[in-house]
Amino acid sequence: MNPLLREAAESISLGWLAGLVTAFFIVWFVAWTWWAFSPKNKEKFEEAARMPLSDGGDS
Amino acid sequence: MMQDRYADPQTTNWPDLVNPMEYTNPTTVDESVYDDDVVRMFFGATVIWGVVGMLVGVTIALQLAWWPANLGLPWTTFGRLRPLHTNAVIFAFAGNICFTGIYYSMQRLLKTRMWSDRLSRIHFWGWQAIIVAAAITLPLGLTQSKEYAELIWPIDIAIVVIWVIFAVNFFGTLATRKVKHIYVAIWFYISFVITIAVLHVVNSLAIPATLFRSYPVYSGMTDALVQWWYGHNAVGFFLTTPFLGLMYYFLPRAAERPVYSYRLSIVHFWSLVFLYIWTGPHHLLYSGLPDWAQTLGVVFSVMLLAPSWGGMLNGLLTLRGAWHRVRTDPVLKFFVVAVSFYGMSTFEGPMMAIRAVNSLAHFTNWVIGHVHSGALGWVGMMTFGTLYWLVPRLWKRELVYPNMATTHFWLATIGIVLYTVSMWAAGLIEGLMWRAVNERGLLASPAFMDIADRLDPFYGLRLLGGLLYFIGAVMMAWNIYRTVAASRAGAPTPSAATAAS
Ligand code: HEM
Ligand code: HEM
Repeated sequence: MNPLLREAAESISLGWLAGLVTAFFIVWFVAWTWWAFSPKNKEKFEEAARMPLSDGGDS
Repeated sequence: MMQDRYADPQTTNWPDLVNPMEYTNPTTVDESVYDDDVVRMFFGATVIWGVVGMLVGVTIALQLAWWPANLGLPWTTFGRLRPLHTNAVIFAFAGNICFTGIYYSMQRLLKTRMWSDRLSRIHFWGWQAIIVAAAITLPLGLTQSKEYAELIWPIDIAIVVIWVIFAVNFFGTLATRKVKHIYVAIWFYISFVITIAVLHVVNSLAIPATLFRSYPVYSGMTDALVQWWYGHNAVGFFLTTPFLGLMYYFLPRAAERPVYSYRLSIVHFWSLVFLYIWTGPHHLLYSGLPDWAQTLGVVFSVMLLAPSWGGMLNGLLTLRGAWHRVRTDPVLKFFVVAVSFYGMSTFEGPMMAIRAVNSLAHFTNWVIGHVHSGALGWVGMMTFGTLYWLVPRLWKRELVYPNMATTHFWLATIGIVLYTVSMWAAGLIEGLMWRAVNERGLLASPAFMDIADRLDPFYGLRLLGGLLYFIGAVMMAWNIYRTVAASRAGAPTPSAATAAS
């Protein structure tokens, strides 16, 4: 097997690292979703949802 | 001509629901600032290459059903025409509609002209030249033999140059935008521009030996992994994210409704791009790839269901309140079916990525059925809807044959159903017969031909489905050609006359 791949395969025994990465991305995801759905941003995103409709000119 | 071309009542006369002044940046722009010529050019290329690519698809479908259609010539054998088909439909048909939609919507969403007209033109002509080069080299048997990356190294370099030119123009436009917020469709386009560049360069790294031949820098399992990391993300970032961008722009416009949940779009965009990148190994299950890497690919593939369906639901729910219009508006019909097939193929995909299911599906026609439910259903129908929606905007004239668009819709829908259902059935038969053993533990059908023989009726049905789909596309091309000709001749849109046809 390719030495790089072998090394990667062996390093997977570093379970704590995999756990850490997973935890990091979960926290990131939750925080991001929280931000997107926070009431403070509601109005801004509702306006953004209309953006495609308002590009024609000066109706 | 220059003046009235942009005086389009359709784009300025929005229902009271929309007030552009509400938006944080109330710059309203006269349509004439936009470069729509380049949009028309890419539009035309989409239609032409679409017909060509599907004609080759029908040809190879015929060859599988009836081998003499190979014609006994090296240039027309299945092995050479198949990559011609995939390159034509993916990079020419799907590629050109992505550029059409991006140039049209990006200027309007950012309220600015493309950064450089010259770069737009170089991008257009360069991309078409690459396609022509592909159409010449592939039948000659000149190939790098990596699926979806068959083109030989000089063409690969041309792709990099043209892509960088496109990227400079794209990001230049973003940098000079007049609207602060970058709308979600453009985020999808950004992922397309960046990821395709990275995928193409990494997967095509090779050492040239002669003008036509080269040796890949990877070998063995590494080569396979890089290839399918590329291959799956070509699906993800060429056939999915730019089309989601088109969906987020053209579907709300056609439905005249705001996006159902903009917040959902933010969450599902980032989840989608994050998950897609890891799923390549589901093409290499039960291979020499380390087990943990296979498992990683499976887990990420299954998780991918969630953001994919987030996109599907957001698309379908944007139509709430506009469903009654689906009955009469062919554009919305195309979009509804497109988004539904997106949902179906992204449900099927994660299932097929599970080891037990994959052991049945892999190497069978089931995969071909899955591919075309995404390709004909999602990519093709999104494209047709977008093209029909754009015609009156770009040429200031309604379709000459409006009813023909509806006929096209039904032909295409029936065609997809015939195609996918026949391939699923064929795939299951193959998968089950390959693995069947008799009571002594020996293969029940040791002769491969016995199994291949049983596929005949399904290949016939697929050919019929593909033919219907192709005829629909030809009708569209004719309809659009006549409409553009009428517009050039200066004929106004007589709404009474169009209704009569
Ligand atoms: C008239 C319509 C079409 C017909 C009749 C058709 C037919 C075919 C056939 C016969 C194959 C080879 C299958 C095999 O090797 O067993 C194929 C492969 C393929 N086609 Fe199409 N096709 C059509 C349209 C499209 C479109 C519009 C797209 C994409 C946007 C597409 C994407 C592909 C891809 C990606 C493959 C390779 C699949 C794989 O390797 O698993 N096709 N097509
Ligand atoms: C959640 C989304 C998806 C997942 C997890 C997924 C998963 C899969 C799996 C497991 C295979 C079979 C690999 C094999 O056994 O050979 C496959 C093949 C394929 N899928 Fe998907 N799929 C998804 C969505 C899509 C969509 C939307 C399209 C098209 C627009 C698409 C196009 C393809 C193509 C072209 C292949 C054939 C690759 C080849 O062998 O040449 N997929 N996909």
